[in-house]
Amino acid sequence: MKDKMTIILFSGELDRAIAAFTLATTAAASNMEVTIFFTFWGLNVLKKEMFALSPAQKLMQKMFNTMSTARLPISRLNMLGLGPWMMKKLMKKSGMASLEDLMKLAKQLGVKYIACTTSCGVLGLSGENLIGDVDEFAGAASYLSEAKDAKVNLFI
Amino acid sequence: MNVTKSLDCTGLFCPMPIVQTKRELDGMNSGEILEITADDPGFEKDLPAWCRMSGGKFLELKKEGNLIKGYVMKK
Repeated sequence: MKDKMTIILFSGELDRAIAAFTLATTAAASNMEVTIFFTFWGLNVLKKEMFALSPAQKLMQKMFNTMSTARLPISRLNMLGLGPWMMKKLMKKSGMASLEDLMKLAKQLGVKYIACTTSCGVLGLSGENLIGDVDEFAGAASYLSEAKDAKVNLFI
Repeated sequence: MNVTKSLDCTGLFCPMPIVQTKRELDGMNSGEILEITADDPGFEKDLPAWCRMSGGKFLELKKEGNLIKGYVMKK
């Protein structure tokens, strides 16, 4: 049986997402079965459009989805968006893979994405707000049943 | 050493050299040897570590200036 790794991606920052996907793709390329569980701000990484708004959302859900979007900040020195712009420029210049590249690779290598239904419910997000790469919508028990057998479990 | 295939990973950073090594080896036959050239300093430790986890037999590593050349045999 293959070794397993799971990651809970709780954060919605570019740098943290890159760290998560670097490990996910490396593990998947190392003969491991990888699952990423996206919860709270981590769902921003999966948003299809910058603003994940829908008519069914309540006012406060709309506010959250307007202020916290698919345009990911960085966890330090964000400087109102200047930080991520500079970081992306530097990464491109030095030949480092972008988050988009890593996410494409993760899917090609068979990394499984689970979106947390509780977080989706609180924030008023549904399948139509998220990219089609999500394999499952599920909760803590599904995550734990995978993590229980996994050798590497990370919370990012 | 009889190198079957060469893979150029210069200019690439972690995790790309490892991911590309895996992909290249996937398409090779048992006993064939892949030569990987990289300039990410981490590759020196990462290649043997990756081989311990997965389907390649680590043969050797050569350093030529900034370049690291790794040799892996498909199991």
